[in-house]
Amino acid sequence: MRAERRRPPAYLRIRYITAMDTPLREPTFLILTALAAEPMHGYGLIREVAVLSDNRVSLRPGTLYGALDRLVDAGLVEVDREEVVDSRLRRYYRLSPTGDATLSAETERLRRNVEAATRRLAERARTARPATPRIAGGLA
Amino acid sequence: MSDLERRYLWLLLAYPAEYRRSRGAEIVGTYLDLATPGRRWPAPADAADLLRGGLRQRVRAAGVIHLVPGVRLAAVVALFTATMLAGMWTVLELRPAPPGFGEPSVGPFVSLGIVAWVGWLFAAAAQALTPGRWRRHAVALAVLLTVALVPAAALTDLPRPPLFVLLPQVGLGLVALGASGERQVSLRVTPLVAAVAGLAFGVSWSLDSFAWSYRALTAEPVLRDTAVAVLAVVGLLAVGLALRGDHRGGWAVLVLLTPVGLLALHPLAGAADGVPSAFAPNWTALAATAVVVGLVGPALLPVALAVRARLARPSAGPTWNTHR
Repeated sequence: MRAERRRPPAYLRIRYITAMDTPLREPTFLILTALAAEPMHGYGLIREVAVLSDNRVSLRPGTLYGALDRLVDAGLVEVDREEVVDSRLRRYYRLSPTGDATLSAETERLRRNVEAATRRLAERARTARPATPRIAGGLA
Repeated sequence: MSDLERRYLWLLLAYPAEYRRSRGAEIVGTYLDLATPGRRWPAPADAADLLRGGLRQRVRAAGVIHLVPGVRLAAVVALFTATMLAGMWTVLELRPAPPGFGEPSVGPFVSLGIVAWVGWLFAAAAQALTPGRWRRHAVALAVLLTVALVPAAALTDLPRPPLFVLLPQVGLGLVALGASGERQVSLRVTPLVAAVAGLAFGVSWSLDSFAWSYRALTAEPVLRDTAVAVLAVVGLLAVGLALRGDHRGGWAVLVLLTPVGLLALHPLAGAADGVPSAFAPNWTALAATAVVVGLVGPALLPVALAVRARLARPSAGPTWNTHR
């Protein structure tokens, strides 16, 4: 099968990429993160997203394929290959160069936020430390 | 083919035919991979997931990529309008007729309507002050309070605002529920600004009016002018956005036609019963017009989607280049 994926007009793709730029929604971030290691099919993606999120994010196939459609339209994800395993079709997806750049930018943004929050919390812990108790009337 | 697979294929009918052909096997295969051994029926959550996904894909297949942004734009306008009206009606509620007029009242208020209007003012404040989930709950509560006025008034024999005031408020509220939980502070504050503006309008007009009440002569011009203003603003917005290749304004107009029709009930009913005067139509003409607006307005959206799908059919439907 060789057919061109119908893509939305360029202005819409640009808008989608901009809209997905920062911040990415958590499921989108996790899907891109899962694909960063290697191409994956739908079932593998669902499992990997669950592992990455400590089972907090549980994607269902209907939701996953809707998200993949949007990511493919936005140019962040590409179809890698198809396989038939136990008479079931498995389509593998991979991160595109744009997806790689978007995920890197988002990771950097989150890293800076985490660093800033860590610094502030450390300062807060220092300033909130109880002062040395003073003895009424002094020591004299 | 197992029973479970057959049942998933039935649920897959929620998706457009072309999408089913290109991706149905992949989706069902993933469900079967996830299913526990011996399972014969899809879980209810799986069925809901497939139905949601199918609806989403049908919208995409119709080529209406701007529909959801259009619904969100309509929701912002609807909430702005609803909270402004609620501000005005709140002032009206605070001015019951003097005792000598023999008009019924609810304590210091004109009617039970004050409960719903305060609910709307609370919803306006909630947009600015609370997290996303609570904002939608606050609007839903305001809509429920508005609807509940009818049975509450019937049960307590106390006065309530007339239906031609409540119906557009409910219509606007239902559209406002389509909001996406805006993050922008400027958008979140607009309902509160609208409510304060409504209160200010109400105060300035009540000072000039001899007898403020929900009578057609006083409330109808407010509703009619609001309908014209909403249509003009959204129409201009739609044209402006369309010039930039953004068609969500057109969908917003379509979504808002029902509440706008309910706001303009008197002029529409006047036109329907052949009497051109704005507040002349009788109750039957008003009721019939409300039913027609309530049926035709919401039907316009699926009709427009079907037309778009038909126009887009020759090139629609995703196909996949698997050799990239």
